[in-house]
Amino acid sequence: MKAADFLYHRAGSVAEAVTLLDEYAGEARLLAGGQSLMPMLNMRLWRLGALIDVNQVPGLDGIEVEGQGDLEATRVGALTRYASLERSPLAASRLPLLVEMVRHIGDRQVRNRGTLGGSLVQGDPTAEMPLACLVLDARVRVESGRGGREIAMGEFYHGSYAAALEFDEMVTEIRFPRHPQHFAFSELTRRHGDFCVLSVAVTGECDSDGRWHDVRIGLGGVNDMPVLAEAASARLAGTRLADDDIREAAALTQEAIDPPSDMRATAEYRAHLVPVHVRRALQQLCSKNRAADRR
Amino acid sequence: MSFERTLNEQEISLTLNGERVRAWAPSRMHAADFLRQRLGRTGTHVGCEQGVCGMCTVMVDGQAVKSCLMLAAQLDGAEVCTVESLAEENGNLNALQQAFKKHHGLQCGFCTPGFLMLATSLAARGEAMSREQIRDEVSGVLCRCTGYEGIVRAVEEYLSVQQAEGSRFRQAEGSRHAEGAQQAMEAQS
Ligand SMILES: Cc1cc2nc3c(=O)[nH]c(=O)nc-3n(C[C@H](O)[C@H](O)[C@H](O)COP(=O)(O)OP(=O)(O)OC[C@H]3O[C@@H](n4cnc5c(N)ncnc54)[C@H](O)[C@@H]3O)c2cc1C
Ligand code: FES
Ligand code: FES
Repeated sequence: MKAADFLYHRAGSVAEAVTLLDEYAGEARLLAGGQSLMPMLNMRLWRLGALIDVNQVPGLDGIEVEGQGDLEATRVGALTRYASLERSPLAASRLPLLVEMVRHIGDRQVRNRGTLGGSLVQGDPTAEMPLACLVLDARVRVESGRGGREIAMGEFYHGSYAAALEFDEMVTEIRFPRHPQHFAFSELTRRHGDFCVLSVAVTGECDSDGRWHDVRIGLGGVNDMPVLAEAASARLAGTRLADDDIREAAALTQEAIDPPSDMRATAEYRAHLVPVHVRRALQQLCSKNRAADRR
Repeated sequence: MSFERTLNEQEISLTLNGERVRAWAPSRMHAADFLRQRLGRTGTHVGCEQGVCGMCTVMVDGQAVKSCLMLAAQLDGAEVCTVESLAEENGNLNALQQAFKKHHGLQCGFCTPGFLMLATSLAARGEAMSREQIRDEVSGVLCRCTGYEGIVRAVEEYLSVQQAEGSRFRQAEGSRHAEGAQQAMEAQS
């Protein structure tokens, strides 16, 4: 199908883009990679007064590292495309979990166009980037004519497909604290490159005596938005991730989920899969750590 | 607030298969329709118009994209390559097209322009790729006829030939550079 009529603006700066958003008072949307917006318009799931193309806005597609040690942070511009993340040596060394998860998104053409900021604002509950950013404890920088603010990923969603943005706000940057030492990712998809049935991303630090701390377990596709399984994480603090620890923590993840039934899977099936994949991800975390020790 | 209706139409200047062209399009028109209906290049096919089938894949500024998910207006200033750019001037098929023919990489041919442009963009990256990687890289175009085997084999053969030629070219360039450097050093001493 063809999109319904709309006006088109090409913004040359963030200031221009947010001014236009404000003038249209909720009737306009920013056009970033277009990999979610364009299908919705073509299918007429959405009718908009105007699109504001931000692809020409300079300075929003970089990856930069600042600070050192515990204060190290990596800043990624909102318009950074998936393909740039895939190929950036800087991203590979500073944000390895994000880069691993990017490779699970869509296909080559989708990754050539889609952007990190677009994926976060789209807020698909099964999407990889919101889950990665949540587990990595990222903060989202937002600008509007009224000034700027930062939103923690944990507070970035009101619900599914509902980012906590005002209509005049634009995401400009995603800021990541120092990357955790260890990480693992596991997801189930029905078809290659499809949106997932569920996904699990885990991170953690391991002391020289083999005890784990700051274990974070993020779950995608099993709630309105990606969630952290806090009780399960707490169960693992100070443990060596022995089989019993992992089994009990995996069982505790049930508290964090409220899975939907849709065309990809029933709620029961998803609830069954969560501990299975959490167990796998934690075992992977453990074995990667041992492999690193041996090196 | 009122907006001029002229915003509903866009003037678009682009380089299409090496040729400068200019045309108008309604704002809501996607790039695939623009290429077909306004520029007469009907080699780019349209299937789902929701980014799933990959029939509309073309190269924009060297990258493979689904042109049903871009607006015509976004091609302004861009360099666009469609399947019409592949065959040689005398009408002979290029090496990639010949590989598709040889390996039975097409039956009805509806998906072929998409695969050809995706493979062309892969070759431009100049990386060696395993069959597994090729499968992954071409997964964004669907084919309902061939079962993909012939397509993957054709792309594999084409990439390996391109790679070999690319490295021969780079070696030749390298030795020219080395010669140049040698001469420069000799000139200095
Ligand atoms: C075939 C196909 C398969 C896909 N598979 C996956 C998958 O497996 N996993 C996955 O996660 N995604 C998948 N996607 C979606 C893809 O990741 C999109 O790129 C992403 O959801 C949106 O990013 P975008 O840059 O394309 O944003 P757009 O489509 O341009 O925009 C999406 C929304 O975000 C808003 N927006 C964009 N940028 C900003 C900004 N800077 N500030 C404020 N608002 C903004 C837009 O106004 C719009 O409402 C797939 C898409 C397709 C077509
Ligand atoms: S027509 Fe563009 S992806 Fe199907
Ligand atoms: S050859 Fe018919 S769809 Fe691919």
